[in-house]
Amino acid sequence: MITADKTSTMSTSSQVTLRELLAVWLQFERQLNRVPIIRRLEQGTFSEEDYMTLLRNLRPQVVEGARWITRAASSFTSEFAEVRSAVIGHAMDEHRDYELIESDYVACGGDLETIRNAQRNIGTEALAAYLMSQASQPNPLDLLGAMFIIEGLGEKMANKWASRIQDLLSIEPSKTRFLSYHGANDDSHIEKLYGLLDQYSDIASDKIVKTAKVVSRLYAMQLEELDNV
Amino acid sequence: MSTQQAFITSSGSFLPGPPICNEEIESVLGMVNGKSSRLKQKILRANGIKTRHYALNQNQQSTYQCSELAAQAALHCLNNAFADSADVDLLAVGSTQGDLPLPGLASMVQAEIDIPACEIVSTHGVCSSGVMALKAAANQIKLGEKQTALVCASELSSRLLKKSRYEAAKHETLDLEAEFLRWMLSDGAGAFLVEPQPRPRGISLRIDWIEQLSYASDFDLCMSCGTADQSQWSTGHYSQAAAATPSIDKLNELQMSARRSGATTMIRERSWQDYETYADAERAGALLLRQNLRILDNIVKVGVEGFLRLIKQGKISPAEIDYFVCHYSSHTFRGKIVDLLNRSGCMVPEEKWFTNLYTKGNTGCASIFIALDELYHSGQLKEGQTLFCTIPESGRFTTAYMKLTVVGGKQ
Repeated sequence: MITADKTSTMSTSSQVTLRELLAVWLQFERQLNRVPIIRRLEQGTFSEEDYMTLLRNLRPQVVEGARWITRAASSFTSEFAEVRSAVIGHAMDEHRDYELIESDYVACGGDLETIRNAQRNIGTEALAAYLMSQASQPNPLDLLGAMFIIEGLGEKMANKWASRIQDLLSIEPSKTRFLSYHGANDDSHIEKLYGLLDQYSDIASDKIVKTAKVVSRLYAMQLEELDNV
Repeated sequence: MSTQQAFITSSGSFLPGPPICNEEIESVLGMVNGKSSRLKQKILRANGIKTRHYALNQNQQSTYQCSELAAQAALHCLNNAFADSADVDLLAVGSTQGDLPLPGLASMVQAEIDIPACEIVSTHGVCSSGVMALKAAANQIKLGEKQTALVCASELSSRLLKKSRYEAAKHETLDLEAEFLRWMLSDGAGAFLVEPQPRPRGISLRIDWIEQLSYASDFDLCMSCGTADQSQWSTGHYSQAAAATPSIDKLNELQMSARRSGATTMIRERSWQDYETYADAERAGALLLRQNLRILDNIVKVGVEGFLRLIKQGKISPAEIDYFVCHYSSHTFRGKIVDLLNRSGCMVPEEKWFTNLYTKGNTGCASIFIALDELYHSGQLKEGQTLFCTIPESGRFTTAYMKLTVVGGKQ
């Protein structure tokens, strides 16, 4: 049973923000269930080709992810040095994650050049453009909402998807390293994120929640628009 | 539009036979193929149930009908009430499965209790069917259409769980999906009287609101009876092939092409009623109660989502809850989503949870009635207290919630 002590670590107003973010997240999870490739994963009709397609479509977003997050870091003034440090740390951790995707793709028999040349699908275009635009605003605290969704995918879904893919395709964990890595490491990222939310949701609550909503919608679109480039 | 209020003015419940402890379950339900279950202990440890009741004797013969369980609970309820059965102008009855495929269970219960001509409602679902009946009744009272509504929730699932059911499924290896509910469900019934004013003396429960939401289009079938293969009822089973919103023509075309390609099983035998004979359906395992455990945890997620929505709408505040009534224990609710709920200050403290799951068992849609009945007669309730009830249904993911306020009645 979850003990009640963690609740005391957040202020009441941050708790309201977290509540809203949790509601956005749960709606997002349901929305993902309706995305054909995730539906196939759930229903057990997910093929090896589906996995390769997924990796090919995730890579451009992960490459873009490193860019918007470093852009966001540079948009924070010294007044927000603490959040800037956290964002820089986060960028350091993840800015070469696309290499894991490439190695999974190659391990599954894919061609390295093919995945490196994969174009952003139209959902990724929308997601990347939105995030870059937000990251370019002064002190873009609303991106905490984006991180809640994107890190949440790593923390809450990646492990589940990785083991489901291993089961369905009978492949070794060495071929799902990208998903497994996020499943294992996004726990600590999300802990840091809770700390930042507690600190800043007072001044940016509405924007944080709205950005979480937009990002969840665009992320789902990215998974709906596979190979639509 | 002027509306009145609706109050639960009396309550009763009925549990058939003696309490059956964990060690005795197989002496009532029987041992499948003469062997004790290997999964039993594991599932019982997880659900925490210590005793339950079955309307079966040790030869797996029924000792009551579902309509009789409802009638017994209703009689207890009416015995405690200021009204009597002749006053009842609406009878609403919910169950997962009545005694007969037709007519509706309310007809059978009305006859069983011998209530003179009145309006009836039969609701059908899984765990939420009782609260669906209660809402139907409360709404009619609030509209002023009816003055004395009797609401029953009754379950007799043990008939589906006895050994012969599993032994008859010849091609079925008794897997976790088919066996899980055997160690979860048991029998019982509850009944409430709903009136537009509190009872003259003693405790009534004002029904502030009842909210119910189904997420069936978002998830696959999770708990069912009537199909050998739950995946044949997948979300978008046809629409995947027929684009987002298939027309009737397109569906027909798909059926035809599936038939032509020899996929007759998929089209013809999805439901137990599609088989040549009912015996074939049973042999195919289409009449076993099934639970898809892989997707079961979604019930916690949709439950939390609904709870957050109610908080946002101002319908409930976690701080005002005196009793959180649920037919699952707090120990069932864990994981990252519950952790987040806790961090966001919405987790109801454990001391406010009220459940009698451990002693009365999981009686499906009757559970919330049986729990509220125990609380109602406990002597613990005080005027002004808030009872928040949640009724999760895994069938195809439905959640229901109810807010009740304790009213002392006129002295």
